[in-house]
Order: sequence, then C-alpha cells, then structure tokens
Amino acid sequence: MRGLALFLAAAAASFAQAPDCGLLSGWTQQGEARSFTGGNLFEYMDGNAEGYLLYHFVRMRGVNCQSGEDTLVFDVSEMENAEWAYGMFASNRDPRVPVEKIGTETQIVPRRAILVKDKYFVEIGSSKEQADVLRQFVRATEKRIAGSSEPPEALTWFPQEKLVPGSVRMVPESVLGIGALKRGYVAEYDTGKAFLVKETSPESAAEVMNKLRARIGGTAPVKVADEGFEATDKYLGRLCFFRKGRMIGGFTGLGGGADATAITAKLAESLK
Amino acid sequence: MTSSRRSFLATGLALPAAGLAIPRPGRTPAVPSAAPAAPDKLAFRTLGKTGLKVTSLGFGCMITSDASVIVRAADAGINYFDTARGYQSGNNERMVGAALKSKRQQVHISTKTGAKDKAEALAQLDTSLKELGTDYVDIWHLHGKQTAAQLTDDLLEAQQIAKKAGKIRFAGVSLHSGHAEVIPAAIQSGKIDVILMAYNFTMGSRLDEWIVKAKAAGLGVVAMKVMAGGYRHLRDDSPSGAILKRPGAMSAALRWVLKNPDIGTTIPSMTDMDQFEDNFKCMPAKFSAEDEKTLAAHLERIGPLYCRMCSLCAGTCRRGLPVSDLLRFVTYADGYGQFALGRERFRELPGDVTAVRCGDCAHCTVQCPHGVHVAERISRAQELFG
Repeated sequence: MRGLALFLAAAAASFAQAPDCGLLSGWTQQGEARSFTGGNLFEYMDGNAEGYLLYHFVRMRGVNCQSGEDTLVFDVSEMENAEWAYGMFASNRDPRVPVEKIGTETQIVPRRAILVKDKYFVEIGSSKEQADVLRQFVRATEKRIAGSSEPPEALTWFPQEKLVPGSVRMVPESVLGIGALKRGYVAEYDTGKAFLVKETSPESAAEVMNKLRARIGGTAPVKVADEGFEATDKYLGRLCFFRKGRMIGGFTGLGGGADATAITAKLAESLK
Repeated sequence: MTSSRRSFLATGLALPAAGLAIPRPGRTPAVPSAAPAAPDKLAFRTLGKTGLKVTSLGFGCMITSDASVIVRAADAGINYFDTARGYQSGNNERMVGAALKSKRQQVHISTKTGAKDKAEALAQLDTSLKELGTDYVDIWHLHGKQTAAQLTDDLLEAQQIAKKAGKIRFAGVSLHSGHAEVIPAAIQSGKIDVILMAYNFTMGSRLDEWIVKAKAAGLGVVAMKVMAGGYRHLRDDSPSGAILKRPGAMSAALRWVLKNPDIGTTIPSMTDMDQFEDNFKCMPAKFSAEDEKTLAAHLERIGPLYCRMCSLCAGTCRRGLPVSDLLRFVTYADGYGQFALGRERFRELPGDVTAVRCGDCAHCTVQCPHGVHVAERISRAQELFG
C-alpha cells in the first residue's frame, strides 16, 4: 500500500514538473510530448547534448505549443541536484542581460526564457518576440515546480564589493583551464577573476595546492589563510591563490597595481 | 523538431553589442604574447577542396569554459577551432571570439546554425559574426543533419548567399548519424565543401566507405566525437571507466582517428591544459600496437553490450521488435543505473511489442554486425521491464 502511495506521489510529482501548454489560455500542444535521458539526448540536439551531460543531466520533457501562428518550444530538464541545475542556468544565461527573481532565477529576452528552480532547468523558445508571454509561462511553470528557490550556497562565498553582477558561474570541469581544479565557481571582479573550489578534505586541498605550485612555477609564498602563493602565469596573468581548510581560491588576471594579497585575503575571509 | 528547438534557442537571445563576457580593455591581458610553436610538433593536412592547411588536431570548444586553454592552443600553433551558435546559448561563440581575436588571421573558425530556413539561418550567421567578433567564418555548418531531406535547397541557398557576401569562406554540414544518406546528398548538391562527422574507434571501418567517397568528391572531412564521447561520465571504478580513463587511453583513441589520412582534422573537446598537451603530442605520433591493445580491451568489454546505433538491424526482427530502441532501454538500466526510465520507455511501446518474448523464437533473425548479443540483451529488457 505504501509502495503504491509512493508510486502515485512520484508520478504526480513527475507530472507536475512536465511542461504544459495549457498553463496559458489560448495555447495548445502541437504534436507529441517528448522525453529524453542522458542516453538519447543527442537524438534531440546532437553535439549540444554534451553541454547538458556536463551538468549532470538526468532527463528532459518537452512539448511544442501553438497559439495561432505563434509557436513555443518548451523543455524542462531535470538535473541531478539544484546546484547542477543552477550551473546549467548560469552557463546559458547571457551575462549582459539582467535576471529576474522568478524561481531561483529567470532570464527573459524577447524570444527566449530560461528558469532555474530546485533541480529543474526550464527553457522556452519563441517563434517571435513576446517577452510578456514568456514571462507568464515562466511564472506559471515556476509555481508547479516544488522545491527550493534558494540559490546555491556558493554564491554567498564571493564578496559583493566590486563583483560584476551576474558573473558568478559554476565551472563543471577544469576551473581556470586547470585539470587539478576539478569543479568550482568563478566570478568576475573589477580587479580580476576570482575562483573557489571545494575539495573533499584539507589534505586533498593541500595536495592540489602542491600540484598548482608545480604547474604554475615561480611561485612566492604569501600569508593568506592556511597557505597561499603569488605568481605570474603566461595565460592566467598575475595571480594569488590560497587554501583555507578544504577550500582553494584566489584571483587571476590581477592588474599590476592591485594588492594581490589583500584582495585574496578578503575572498578567504568571506568563507565561513 | 530538432532544428526548431535549436533555432529557437539560438536566436532567442537578442544580442546587445559589447558584453561582460568579452574581455574589457585592460582587463584580460591574462594572455600575453604568443609563444612560437615548435613546427616539428605540428602536423598539417589539407582540408579537401577548401585548400585550407589545417593542423590535424583542431579544438572543439563546445564545453571549454576557460578561454585561456583556447589561447594556449592557438599559441602552440593549432589553427582550427570549432563552435556553434547553439552552444551555451551563444556564450561559447563569444568566448571563442574573444580568445582568438588577436589571432584571427592565423586561425580557421567554424561555427554552425541549426536554423530551419534561409532567413533564420542568415540572421543567425549575422549574430555569430557579431559574437565571434569577426566579419567572416571559415566554415559555416548546417548543424546536425540526419537525413538527406534536412539538407533543404533553402538552407543550401543560405550558405551560397553568405559565401557570395564574403561572410563565410566554405559551406559545411555536420552529422552524428545518417551518413549513408547525408554524405551522398551533400556530394550531390555540389554546394558543400566540408563534412563534420562523428568518427571514432568504436565504429571500426563502418564509415570508411563514406569518408572515402567524401574525400574523392573533394570534400574536407572533419572528425568529432573522436574519443567515443561520454567517457567523462564513466565512473572510474566501472570496467569501461577503468580502461578509458587510464593514462594514454584517450590519446590512443585520438591516434586511431588520425591514422586515417582521409580525415582532415579532428576536434576533440578540451577543458584544460593537461588535456590539450596530451592531445598535442598525438599529432606527430603513430598509432601503436599498444594503442591497439588499449582500444581492443575497451571494445571487447563493450562489444556485446553497446549498441552503435547504426540502424542495420532495423526491420530484421521477424516479430517486429524495435531492436535498437530496446537495446537502448536496457542500457538505461544496466549502463546508467536508471531502471525506472528504461521501464518507462519500454512501457510506452505498443502492447503487441511489449508482449513479445525472445525466448519464444527458436532462432534470432537479428545479427548485429558489431557483435552485440541482441537476443540476450533484449531478453534482459523483457525480463526487467515486461
């Protein structure tokens, strides 16, 4: 009996997250609904599928909607968790366009809307410019998605002062183009690019710091958090990295006049 | 359906001019002057009738998130970079353009459009040029065509218009499947200069016929998915992960593609400098017996299980089973640990299909040319989901 109840609850939840043309009057579904998993997403979008898999894509449900001559392509992707969904959203949002507080975040441009809430990433593309219709669909969809609208904790790690709005994004693989920094977040500041990576333990973080010293070369120690170093790299520019417990962070592309240690120390201090 | 989504999403972002992702003056000298490449480490090939001299290792930029890796590759002498309008909703083109801005004359840039008609395609091209910060692209692909019918006169005309306007140098088409249809259609059109196709060691010699035909017709052939795709998602402790993630295994896969002289260049995805350096070393290297052994170990492991989706089994089951679909569903359960999804898809099939049991047939009429144990795998699907 309990099993049946769980099954029905799961089915109801699954239905609730599915895209629905009927959310707005005057819109009807055109053709069959579609559904994809990591195993066959390429059938829908070929090479672009890899960009979804990188963010731990689980499945997608989609429909095409029609109202008169206008059509919408409406897809809801489920990622492994809310952090990956936010990462997907941040990699797809246009950093030049502001976001709105619908769900965790929403970005609407005249012919496209993207929304993230909990572990769901929603995309709606329109055949014509109609931001208002997109916004109404996004609002209605957001209401049907259960779960948290809180952004990932990582967004609070970066100090707000001089932070370029909308620039914080998750990097799912090779932060700063360095394989040893497996996954983390980057943010743009007036002074340079900041990054933060959470390792599994202080010991593994210390090991990564050693790899970074070896990789970059010519490093000079600085007093920031548990350990730190400064260097100039041909591709990353002037940089300052630190380790605080199991967190590794720092700045790259620092201008010649910047006080690298002070700026980096501020980033380290923001980590509780 | 596919193209409509791509085109919607690609054109959806209205594109204001300068942006945050574009390095601002004085902000990104994180990229100092170029280091001269060691010429003996670079291998060049001619890309069909385009005459472009391209490095045999190109750069697939799709999942690269840090521009410094692209800059490093260009500094090292790599001269072929691939992106698409649809990648990261346009953010990828912007990053590639910013990274290669100071080297535009030394590199070849290819991008793609998923547009469904001429007007939309040409509008997307203008956006691509703006985002890439250039007034031309070297190769402009029609993105992800799987059938000859998708190579419409309208889209081919868009490429010709763009060529005449000097916005593109050459016309291309990209494909992951449907080689037997799309390549002859591309040749026959007389308007396509380059084919961008999935090609890797798991395919064996299956596609060689089409590569030879394309080459003979003067088309340049660019290989993508050269590392068999998806290895990033293999668990380290899985048998396949253990093989493909061992040092040198991915290089072996790249060298397997490079040993085919009809391939003009390759565009593996690269996200960091270590990956780039490993791939860079493959250019002058020969495919070795050790490489053969490494790849054979992987093929032996996946051979009986892994459907290559070549569609050669279509219509060969006397009971009318959709063989490749069923193999895929069982892979959801066994390969990806997503039993519920496999079952869900299985149950969407018509009742007369789900009722079939392979054990009822004395002999299976389906013979997979790649050695997949079809009856065994489909029996497992029936047992799991039926």
